[in-house]
Amino acid sequence: MSVPSRRVSAMARLSLAALAAVLVVLGVPTPAQAHNSLRSADPARDATLNVAPTEIALEFTERLNPTFTTIVVTDAGNQRVGTGAPVVAETRGTVTLTAPLGNGTYTVAYRVVSADGHPVQGSYAFAVADPRSSTNPTAVPVPSGAATTSPEAPAAAAAKENGSGAGVFIGAAVLVGLVTTAGAMWWRRRIRR
Amino acid sequence: MTGRGTGRPVSRRGLLTGGALTASGALAGAVAATVATRDHSAAATATTVGTLVEPFHGTRQAGVSTAAQAHACFVAFTLRPDPDRAVLGRMLRLLSDDAARLTQGQPALADTEAELAVLPARLTVTFGFGPGLYRAAGLADRRPPSVAELPPFAVDRLQPAWSGGDLLLQICADDPVTVAHAQRMLIKDSRPFATVRWVQRGFRRSHGTQQGNPTQRNLFGQLDGTANPRPGTPALDTAVWSTDEAPWLRNGSTLVLRRIRMDLEKWDLLGRTDRELAVGRRLDTGAPLTGQAEHDPPDFAAVNGAGLTVIPDFSHLSRAHVTEDRQRILRRPYNYDEAPAADGTADSGLIFASYQADITEQFLPIQRRLAERDLLNEWTTPIGSAVFAIPPGCPPGGWIGQQLLG
Repeated sequence: MSVPSRRVSAMARLSLAALAAVLVVLGVPTPAQAHNSLRSADPARDATLNVAPTEIALEFTERLNPTFTTIVVTDAGNQRVGTGAPVVAETRGTVTLTAPLGNGTYTVAYRVVSADGHPVQGSYAFAVADPRSSTNPTAVPVPSGAATTSPEAPAAAAAKENGSGAGVFIGAAVLVGLVTTAGAMWWRRRIRR
Repeated sequence: MTGRGTGRPVSRRGLLTGGALTASGALAGAVAATVATRDHSAAATATTVGTLVEPFHGTRQAGVSTAAQAHACFVAFTLRPDPDRAVLGRMLRLLSDDAARLTQGQPALADTEAELAVLPARLTVTFGFGPGLYRAAGLADRRPPSVAELPPFAVDRLQPAWSGGDLLLQICADDPVTVAHAQRMLIKDSRPFATVRWVQRGFRRSHGTQQGNPTQRNLFGQLDGTANPRPGTPALDTAVWSTDEAPWLRNGSTLVLRRIRMDLEKWDLLGRTDRELAVGRRLDTGAPLTGQAEHDPPDFAAVNGAGLTVIPDFSHLSRAHVTEDRQRILRRPYNYDEAPAADGTADSGLIFASYQADITEQFLPIQRRLAERDLLNEWTTPIGSAVFAIPPGCPPGGWIGQQLLG
């Protein structure tokens, strides 16, 4: 004999949902706790350099797995800038730039894997403003017609940093909201009876 | 019981491909098919799953390109010492006869529970020959070259209890009682010749739970087998069936069977976005992260605003992807879910079954790429491995292995 699930009272379902939500929030370790993350970078986030860098060095909080380490650099026009393969030493990942960078804004994006297997990805921007530079950059980040070539980068990209971590927080916030709502509804129904 | 009268129904597939059905069987099937067409209501279908029949006889064995049944049991045997070619022939004649009867809804000879045999529920019994069978028969030169123990992979944690085997019987049906009965009969009749080495039981969604024959979901919740060649296409024939001249190879295939433990406890700690990055596909639709629908071709070059590829190069999709039909494998996996440990830790995973014309040319390149750099390896561990040749089928009156041993 089977009881159709809709016969279970709405009250019971609500209570169960609330309970489950509480368990999820309190009972399960938050994935973000164990995640690798970017500790420091050279060039630093949002830095403006007078001299173009020759390499990008990223320092993480956990050891990197060379098999799963990606570092890419793009210019303001979203074009990939030439680099060597990432060189990994313990917590440090480095790529060498294969050609000198002209003046302009650049985005460094990384995708690494935590010791527990969680993929972590993020990005940040830096700028090169070498007063002696004769190189004409691909797209100078000043308000001009040329800027339309990069509607999303680098501001949007920077905002995506630690995207999965942010997702966890949003998820937790949604859950807390759910619990509160469910609790309130349950209380109101109780009072009405 | 089914109210269907006298006809013995066969599945439409069975009727279309059943050139090898006996005349009487075909006649009964035709009558039943007529009834089925007239009486095609959901209720009627639901009550007659048990009477559906897959053909046993044919140029190719059933149970490979056959739409996967809900329940499977893989039984591997170790041959008793010193079976010669004649003894092996007797064993295979007997087991073929059992399979031919049971798959058609008839009791095996000396069936001790004949009543259990009358609902075949699309039962198929597929024979696989391990390297040891060729050695025992003194026919090592007839072994398909790629049917040999796989090279070790760094991700492997293989246990002897789930590995190897001289003979495999793959028993599949849409009903678990049918599978149990067939398994019992076949093992009983194998006793004089072989011992049971291991048994792996697996399942998919039950017949009728979903419309059509959609890609199955594994216990990670992922659609599993999206890249399979589609049933009934030349691509599937190219990928799966041998066109070798030798009669003991032609219309045969090979099977790689691996037991892959899935660490559900660790997987539970992974957020949805991270899961999708590891796989390269969306969990709900199975679409590649660059697409909208399950079968959209993935765009590995697509980058996001920060310059990272949308599909990570370490994703399962990136590493497993092949483009040529001759490189494809036909995956026909089943989930397993054994009793959890006392603390609730799951003992779950996948019985990975891959059919291909040649293991070296098709399975191994994919497997090497996955072992080397598939992020999904973080949550999966191969704990068993076996390879078998799938010999060609046999005509009525014939037996599986006849071309090799006869």
